[in-house]
Amino acid sequence: MSIKIIKPGMLTTLQGAARSGYRSMGIGGGGPMDNFAMRVANYLTGNEDEFAVIEMNFPAPEIIFLQDALISLTGADFSPVVNGAAVPLWTPLFVKKNSILQFRKPVNGAKAYLAVQGGWQAEKWLNSYSTHLKVAAGGYFGRALQKDDSIGFTQTGISFEQNKIFSWHISEIELDKIYRSPGHIRCIEGIEWKLLEDTSKAGFEKNDFVISDQSDRMGYRLNSQPLLLMQPTELISSPTDTGVVQLLPGGNCIILMADHQTTGGYPRIASVIKADLPKLAQARTGRVVNFTIVAQQTAEDALNQLEKTLREIKTACYLNF
Amino acid sequence: MVSFENCIDEKINQRVVALQQVFANNPFKGFIETVPAYASLAVFYDIGVVRKHHVISSTVFDCVKYFTEQLLQDLNDDLPVIKRPTITIPVYYNGADLALIAAQHQLSEEEVIQIHVSKTYRVFMVGFLPGFAYMGSVDELIATPRRLSPRITVPAGSVGVAGIQTGIYPMESPGGWQLLGQTPLKIFNKEKAHPCLLQAGDEVQFVSISKTTFENLYEY
Repeated sequence: MSIKIIKPGMLTTLQGAARSGYRSMGIGGGGPMDNFAMRVANYLTGNEDEFAVIEMNFPAPEIIFLQDALISLTGADFSPVVNGAAVPLWTPLFVKKNSILQFRKPVNGAKAYLAVQGGWQAEKWLNSYSTHLKVAAGGYFGRALQKDDSIGFTQTGISFEQNKIFSWHISEIELDKIYRSPGHIRCIEGIEWKLLEDTSKAGFEKNDFVISDQSDRMGYRLNSQPLLLMQPTELISSPTDTGVVQLLPGGNCIILMADHQTTGGYPRIASVIKADLPKLAQARTGRVVNFTIVAQQTAEDALNQLEKTLREIKTACYLNF
Repeated sequence: MVSFENCIDEKINQRVVALQQVFANNPFKGFIETVPAYASLAVFYDIGVVRKHHVISSTVFDCVKYFTEQLLQDLNDDLPVIKRPTITIPVYYNGADLALIAAQHQLSEEEVIQIHVSKTYRVFMVGFLPGFAYMGSVDELIATPRRLSPRITVPAGSVGVAGIQTGIYPMESPGGWQLLGQTPLKIFNKEKAHPCLLQAGDEVQFVSISKTTFENLYEY
């Protein structure tokens, strides 16, 4: 059973759970940019958290289903249509053999996810299905999908009635917990926060930061009024993590995203809290982002809340099949 | 993050690697991995698992900090010296910047090569690219700052210097290090369960090889 790619879209990749345990070799976590949307896409098709999904940007791919399939679409709204008819996000969908899935226009968000019951067949590299583009490993031959690629799937696990219309979906209330006030990103102070000038500390919370078009899966480059250090400081290479806000020599910031390098030499002035990473992943080029510094406790509570929401969604999905 | 000092120093890096070892031998519930750098060690943990298995009076961060401080105390008393076998890396010294480095230091190319192979180097950390080992320290006689404009492509296996650091590009990549030569060995092999030849704490000895030997040993 498989699908075929008619048009590849821009950087369409297979992503599973992030890679873990290889950072000391310079191999970062990778995985989906929006971990929440990816996991919910899996729950909606009865899958486990780590199964491979397809991550899409706009322009998104055009796909033909060569067999019947139970799928789900989550994350960004790119106006999906199946055989020309609009289909909803955040719900299981039954797609008939020879159906064509297309995406008309970007309505909101930046990363859309497509899951299939049983998961997409993907290469597991270092215990993760995620595509590592630099090493060319994992996912689909370690690369972005191209025209005429076939991606297989096996419908196993939960059983469902074919042709069933699914009358349930993830509620706006649940989604709002994760994605509300999209430009508002919470951070904790970074290891080198103390090196910032006082006016720049204030500026970090007051200024507008615009996501530049030089942003990708490695990081979001931000344009803003330059932030300054009390004195120019050169750091020796030190570990980094997803969400770390680095200050570049020119005074602009970069936020490290899923495919970031494991070490770096720029001052780490802040860290986006884990619970706000899905929201940040859905922020498009040109969006204004504002930061608020919160306490470690707030960051941990928010992550705890996110995981609780995911557990509830997972249970609810499985009960509905 | 455990930060020691902001400098490149063998003694400090020995403490980093020793602490990494202590964590590997005594992982707390929820521990994921550590990442050693020149003078700091990042500790990654699963906040949910830590919370489930330990009594948390304030934050999970403070809890992990407490574990780390306990392990650091043990470290102060008795620093385990981790001695690993020296890894020999053959290099064909034909690098694009060899002549430039020689001219800049008023040495012959042969002298630059002799100085580069005259000592063993410590792998301080792996980062930047999968399998990229930062090694040091290079003799001041040949230490050379990074190129002002980085190359768009540096071939896989290229051996370079940046200041007192020396390193090997595990794969083709953009890069600004001054290139001395190229190793025929795959220092990163994605087909292997342990894809990296080098890890923090290793000792490396470069040896100069001929073009013929390079071609015979070529693994790419």
